[in-house]
Amino acid sequence: MIPRQFLITVTLLFALTIAMSVYVWQLRRREIRAPRLTEKTEHVAPPMSGAVEQVTVYVAYDSPGELRAQSISIPLAAGRQQRAEGLLRGLMRIYTAKDSTHPLAPGAEIRGVFLVDPGLAVIDVNSAFVEGQVSGVLPEELTIASLVQTLATNMPGLTRVKILVDGKEQETLAGHADLTAFYDLQQIAELVKGLSPQQ
Amino acid sequence: MLWNSASRRVKVSLYQGAASAGALLFALAVIAAQGVPLSGAPQGQAQSATPTLQSSQPSPNQAVPDQTLPPVQPVPAPPKPLVMIDPAHGGSESGAVLNPTILEKDVTLALARRLRIDLGARGFVAELVRDSDVNLSTDDRAAKTNAAHPALYVCLHATSESGGIGIYTPMLAESGETSGPFVDWNTAQFSFLPASRAAQQEIAGAMQKSGMLARSLTAALRPLGNVTNAAVAVELAPTKADVSQLSAADFQQNISAALANGIAQFLSTSRALR
Repeated sequence: MIPRQFLITVTLLFALTIAMSVYVWQLRRREIRAPRLTEKTEHVAPPMSGAVEQVTVYVAYDSPGELRAQSISIPLAAGRQQRAEGLLRGLMRIYTAKDSTHPLAPGAEIRGVFLVDPGLAVIDVNSAFVEGQVSGVLPEELTIASLVQTLATNMPGLTRVKILVDGKEQETLAGHADLTAFYDLQQIAELVKGLSPQQ
Repeated sequence: MLWNSASRRVKVSLYQGAASAGALLFALAVIAAQGVPLSGAPQGQAQSATPTLQSSQPSPNQAVPDQTLPPVQPVPAPPKPLVMIDPAHGGSESGAVLNPTILEKDVTLALARRLRIDLGARGFVAELVRDSDVNLSTDDRAAKTNAAHPALYVCLHATSESGGIGIYTPMLAESGETSGPFVDWNTAQFSFLPASRAAQQEIAGAMQKSGMLARSLTAALRPLGNVTNAAVAVELAPTKADVSQLSAADFQQNISAALANGIAQFLSTSRALR
């Protein structure tokens, strides 16, 4: 004969198991229904530090397909390389804002700018930058001309710019603009003239 | 007496016969020396002995070339200029997704086919770099174009951003290293830039004449820099936010007609300058 205490214990344990199963099932359903954050969208770059300066950046406008010079005030470090990074990160804040005239993906960022030799700058962007880029000759040119001309205006002595994605060379920005070559600053200046608002 | 007269007659006859035979032989010798063909002689011997006579008086039945006049060569018609049309992207590489149902590779192919017809109607020969939905690398496109030696290469693109129609020439700062007939692949276009810019101007002018917003710009866009002929890229853009316009037949027809006018103007001008 089975002892009474043993029967009571087994029954309680069985009831507890059922209750736990129902609870876990409910938790799983709630997790499936909740919106999932698939990617980190906020910037991971360190905050800019240094004295606030007024600089000219070149901002792309998709709708008329133009590039316009614009003055902004941003903190810039004294070092040449940090200054270049600060300039382009200031530009990124304009493009990732809600009412951007040339929207890029929220996670788009400048990973770094390297001044390899006196005339060459290498801009390293992340993969979110490329994934959020609108495909087309003109939209891609606007992005590149905006980055390169902003650097050229504020960093005297540069002659060429190379663009990498996640530290590696990529064929095109989004299917059109060639990223295998170096961008000559004189050629970009000519392009910027053609992209400027017509008087 | 009788015998004497008879023998004299015989002698006279013999002399006369000998004289006649001599005269005949002399005549034959003269005739042979002048080369008149004898009816019984083999024809080959007579022809070989008298080439000048034969050539000056040809028999109507003989197909002998007339050596007195220079041969008349038929003047070949000038070759029609070839235009190479390259619908960008294709196959698994769809280009820009203009909207969920319209892909750039389809828009460019449809426009390229229209342009081929429009150029044909204007008397030019046009070929497509791709005439189906296939993958082609930019190097393959340039190699195919360079092998065909066209008068003009036109690469077609499309975008969803409404910034007007862009007419692009390659963005090349300087020529690469050249060694004899070998040129740097990445800057092979460099010496053809003046011709490319002339084509760009004519096309942009024709677009503006048709009431379209067209801009002349430069672009770092493959394979423009690898083409060894006049080369331009044309990017379609909707006139307003409605991207479906890009695949509409009437919109494409207007663009194609304006493009064909500009190309025809460029080819006529460049032919006149040659």
